[in-house]
Parts: sequence; structure tokens; C-alpha cells
Amino acid sequence: MAEIFIDNVRYEFEGKPLVLQFMLDNGLDHPFFCYHPSLSIPANCRQCYVEAGTPVFNRETNSYELDESGERVIRFFPKLMTACSLEASDGMVIKTHRTSELVKRAHKDTLEFILVNHPLDCPICDQAGECPLQIQTYKYGPEGSRFEHKKVHKPKRIKLGPRVILDAERCINCTRCVRFTDEISKSHQLTIISRGDKNYPATAPGMEFDDAYSLNTVDICPVGALTSADFRFKARVWEMNQTPGVDVTNGKGCNIDVWTRDNLVLRITPRYNAKVNDHWMPDFGREDYRRMNENRISRPEVNLDGDKIKSSWNNAELTFTEAIEDVNPSEILVIGSAFSSLEDNYAISAYFNRLGVNDVYFTPHIEAGSGDGFLISDDHYPNTNGCRALGFNEVSAAELKSKITDKSVKAIISLEDDLIGRGVINAGDLKGKFFAYFGSNNNETSKAADLVVPITCSVETISSYINVDGILQRTVPAKETIYTDRKLNLEMSLGRLDRYGTKFDNWVSDSNKVDCIPTWEFLERISRNQNSSLGFNESGDVFEAISSNIESLLGIDYNKIDELQGVQLEISSNKTEV
Amino acid sequence: MSTTYTFSKEDLAEIEKIKAKYPDKKSPVMPVLWLAQDKFGHVNDDVQKLVAETLDLPPAHVFGVATFYTQYYKKEMGKFVIDVCTSFSCQACGAYDILHYIEDQLGIKAGETTADGKFSIQSVECLGACGYAPMLQITNGVYCNHLTKEKVDVILDKLKKDEMPAFERIPFPQHTTAKS
Repeated sequence: MAEIFIDNVRYEFEGKPLVLQFMLDNGLDHPFFCYHPSLSIPANCRQCYVEAGTPVFNRETNSYELDESGERVIRFFPKLMTACSLEASDGMVIKTHRTSELVKRAHKDTLEFILVNHPLDCPICDQAGECPLQIQTYKYGPEGSRFEHKKVHKPKRIKLGPRVILDAERCINCTRCVRFTDEISKSHQLTIISRGDKNYPATAPGMEFDDAYSLNTVDICPVGALTSADFRFKARVWEMNQTPGVDVTNGKGCNIDVWTRDNLVLRITPRYNAKVNDHWMPDFGREDYRRMNENRISRPEVNLDGDKIKSSWNNAELTFTEAIEDVNPSEILVIGSAFSSLEDNYAISAYFNRLGVNDVYFTPHIEAGSGDGFLISDDHYPNTNGCRALGFNEVSAAELKSKITDKSVKAIISLEDDLIGRGVINAGDLKGKFFAYFGSNNNETSKAADLVVPITCSVETISSYINVDGILQRTVPAKETIYTDRKLNLEMSLGRLDRYGTKFDNWVSDSNKVDCIPTWEFLERISRNQNSSLGFNESGDVFEAISSNIESLLGIDYNKIDELQGVQLEISSNKTEV
Repeated sequence: MSTTYTFSKEDLAEIEKIKAKYPDKKSPVMPVLWLAQDKFGHVNDDVQKLVAETLDLPPAHVFGVATFYTQYYKKEMGKFVIDVCTSFSCQACGAYDILHYIEDQLGIKAGETTADGKFSIQSVECLGACGYAPMLQITNGVYCNHLTKEKVDVILDKLKKDEMPAFERIPFPQHTTAKS
């Protein structure tokens, strides 16, 4: 196998890896700015310099030339090489800053050069704390600056588009954003204008940077030049918790990181998953943090003579049980939801199966042609394939409406899906029937319900989804409900403030917790009231029941999902067009 | 300013000829921008847009190219554009004195155009004539070298009479020594 020597350590490699990527893959730290694994390689920041050499091969003797001490003679490239664009070759010798004073000096000098006109505004910069320039300056940079002249001033606070704001002075012209619009989103909206120390990225005159993926440029910007108009100045990075999750605004199920502080989700950024979304996600998925924070249903609500009043959980449980007991199983219509997780859907079907209601219906939210073939799918809901896998009856919107309006149906149980809001039914269709709605956000449908059970949303409990391509993924709780505590739940991540703060610190807030429980927990409570437990004590129990009952999910558990970064399932192609 | 810019049939034929010279789509940008500047006298935002449409390129790309070069005029310029080099060699030989002198003579600042539309001044980067510093170039054409205030007076007087200063041949030192 081909070998490469990096800092006198031998590594083996296959194919033609690039030296920088190979070093990063092997856990060797190396500074760089413009290189991005998913973009082309311009090698323009010059930060990843290494000394590189190849052994001298004698074609006549068909062997490597050796020096007096029996070591291979290495012919070094006359100048330093950029590791990002250098292809590894057999026997190559690389010297990095760990072994070469020259490389160390080069890293320092390149950084000094990059920093000549860079403003020293880290204390007010959004990127601080997650800024490659800041981190690498600490690690490899010069102690101070020798430049005492006035820095070049460039435009600040330019609204490049509706979601992205540019601070041209901070830009180091790595061109990652330009390459992103050229190569990934293909909108070609950005370019670097002007030259020398006056250049910075911009759109063409009169054009807006309104790319559906524009906020990805903010993520890949290695400095604070591009910032999100929405998240700007909201929180320091080190104050937030970062928790892995799955985007539920779309059938694609992009992997995300959920950033919370004081139990509010403040931003959503994409998380790398080669199988699903690479490093990217669409802009509208990031807006979803509002749904997690705002307009939440907290405490159960019952309809009393046309008025919605908050009720206790006890009362909600009783109301639900009585309403169900009042009618025959044949008069109950259970509606699952492609918006909700496998756990929620399964729990509701398991509960009603025991009562003798065997059919669960759902109608997908697919708009043909609304996707773009990249990360925006035609399917607006994250779990359509999940509902299919659970064996729910997939019906069209019209069919569901006729089922709901059917005279024989007296009680309707619906899992979070804004059926009225998206025009499947209207409020009048529910007249004279008991309508229970399990949901996490207020909407038209929850308004029309006789009983609203507040349930956790995707970031408050473990939720699994099967995306449009049949990949099973799950979220991790990121946000506490009033019944959970991130210090007790080992699944939840602890941020700096959670770890070192106490409830009595005035910079920590314990508010913003929603009074809601997972669907399975509500149904389990009701079952226990009737002395017949469903056996659900935690989300894992629900998933275990799913994987032992559903053939296509056999043998899968949360650990396996985590290990494989999403489990690819076989999905049937008989998708109904709606 | 609602002037609409269009290429005539002859221009388009010329552009086709330019395009045929290059294997890829992006390459003809510079010659076509030149063609446009020759025709319209400048390549402002609208002209850049026209070029982008004609070549079926993203407008951002054309914008990037046009702003990279000071030789492309991104707004309407005077009849004579005086590009004073203020890069290192010229600067060391007093380019800023020359620049400010011209500014005072014409009553405008670098980057501006006189009210009569006759002169524009630009402070530009290296024009590759470091050996004859300080120097200036007139409307992407004639180089005026070894500038002094007196020499600038002569140049400005000529330009005011719509006469272009003559092209100055300055032999390289090694050539002059070879002769002797």
C-alpha cells in the first residue's frame, strides 16, 4: 500500500487523497481557510503551507536512491506547497509546523498578512468563538502586529440579500461563498469585486442574494464577514448548547445542529451527513426555530361551550378517556401524521389498536414540483415514509375529508397536522364530533379541537423520522420541557452556562419551558389509569416496540441510528400522487 | 438615466467572432467588455448587464471582471481619462505630487469628472512603467513618462486643444548602453 510520511510518522493511504484532507482525516491539526471538502480548491488563502518532497527514484536500478546512512534521498519542492491542493504520492514526505521551522514561520507570516486589514472587532463579532481566523491566529499567528498604519476601510452592514449581511472589512477573500453559489446552489449570484486590498464579495448591481440556500455561505464563511440577518447579535456562541437534530420542515430531513440558550432555540445550522445533506441545508429550514419557541401549546386545553380554556392534565386525561369510552371503536377515526415522529405515530396506533381500531389514516403533504431536486423535496413533511412503514392507510386529502365528514364517525383523534390550515378540511367538517388534537403549536386545527393535548416537538424528545429517500434518523432532545432537566437526562447536552451556572444566577433563565409531554407518555398515563400499561417508560421503549413489530425496522435501535448516521431502509416505490 | 444600451447587428457579429476564439463561455468577457466600452464610452451597470445577457453569463461574473480593472470605466467618464499611477515606484518618485497638481489644475479630485465632461482623473495601480516613474496614461492609450509639473502643464494644454500628446519612445537602459 502507498505510504506517506508526515512529520516522520508513516501513514498508509489508498487512491489519491489531498494532503490537507488526509491530515485532517488522521486527526492532525493544520490551519486553512479557503479549503472546503465539498467545494473546488482555489488554494488562495495560502495558509496550509507544508514542506513536501518525494523520494528520488532511480529508473535504472529500479529502486529509491539512498544516502550514506541508508535513508531515502528526498527531493523537496523548491517552495512551500499548499497542502489543500497537493495530491499525496507514494513515499511522499511532508513536514508541517510540527517539524519545520520554515512552515511555522510561513503560517505565522501568512496570518500576519491576512490580518493586515482585518478589523479587531472580535468582541462585537458574531463569529467570535467559532471563527477559524480567530482560532488559528491564537494557534499559529504572530504575537502582535507590526502594521501601524490605518487599516483599509470597506463597506460595512451591506444587506446582500434578505437573509445575509456582509461586513466587507472582515472578509479575507477566501471565495468560499462565491464557490458555493457557483458550485453547490448554482445561483451564481456572488462574485469578488475590485482587486488588491479593496476587494470583497458582492452581488451584481441591482441584484439580491436571495438564493434559497444563501445562509450556507454564513456557515462556511471562515470569518465574520457574512452574518445571518436573523441571528446577528442574538447570542455568543459559547453561551449556547449545540445539540444534533433533524430538520422537520421538509421530506429530506437535513441533519441539523440546534443551538439553544435559556431553553430557546436561537439558531439552526446544518450538520454534516454525507448520505443526506452533505454540509448544507435550505434557508427556510433554519426559520423553524420559531416554531420550536413561539406559539406553543402549553398545558392541555378543552373546549367549554365554545371557549378554549386551559385545563389540568388530570382533566385532559379524563376528558379523553370518557370521550373514547362514549363511542364504539367503529365510530373512532384515528389520523396519524407525516409531520410527527415514528414514536408519536406508533404510540397512537398502538393505543387504539388495543381498543379495536385497526386502521390509522394519514394524508401526505406533497406538492409536486415544489422541490428543487437538491435539498428541498416535494414532500413538505419529514415522515411520510415513516407513516408508510408503520402500515398506515395513505389516503388523498379528499378521501380523508370524506372519512372525517362520514356520519358514522363520532370521535376523531388527530396527531399534529394542520389539516384545516392546509385546506384538507374546514372547521365546519368537525361539527358535532369529538375532536382531540395532539399538537405542539397553535394552529387552525388546534383551534377547532374539543381537546388539545400539548405534545413535545422534535427538539424536546427523541423523535425518529424516515426521510424521502428512506433514511431513518432521529433527534436528541435539545430543549427542556417543564418535566425534563438537562442535568438529569444524559441524552441532553450541557452548555457552558448549564454546567457552571446555577438556577440562581441572574444570567441563566429557567423560563421558556413548555408544559407538554410526548404522545406516548399521555397515552401511557391513560392506559395506566385503566390498569393496562402500554409498557412505555421512555422513547426507547416505543422505538423498541416499533422495531420488534415492524418488519422493515427489525433489529434497529437508537444506537444503531447514531452509529450509522441514519439507517438506509428499503422503501416501496408505490407512492400515491396527491 | 434611462438610456437603454443595445448591440447592433455588426456588434453581435463581432462578438460571435470573439466567442469563436475561446473554448469556454467565460473567456470572451474581457474582449466583449472592451468592445462595449469602445461603443458606449464606458461599461456602467447597464452595459455590464447587456454584456452578461449577450454572453449568457451570470451578471455577477461580468461585474467582478469589470471592477477588477481600472481600465474599464464603470461610469461615464470625461473625454480624456488621466490615469495617474500611484503604485510603489511612481509613489516613491512623487506620483502623489503629480496627482495633486493635476487635481488642482483641473479643479477636481481623483475619481471625478470636470463639469464640461472633458477630463476625468483616476488614481490607478501599477501600469508597468516603473522605469519611467512617475507616469500617467491617457484614456487607456498614450503613456506620459518622467512627469514633472512643467511636463504636466504641456500635456494638459495639448489636451485642452483636443490634441493627444505624442507617444514617447524610451529605450531601455541596456539598449542605450549597448549602442555606445
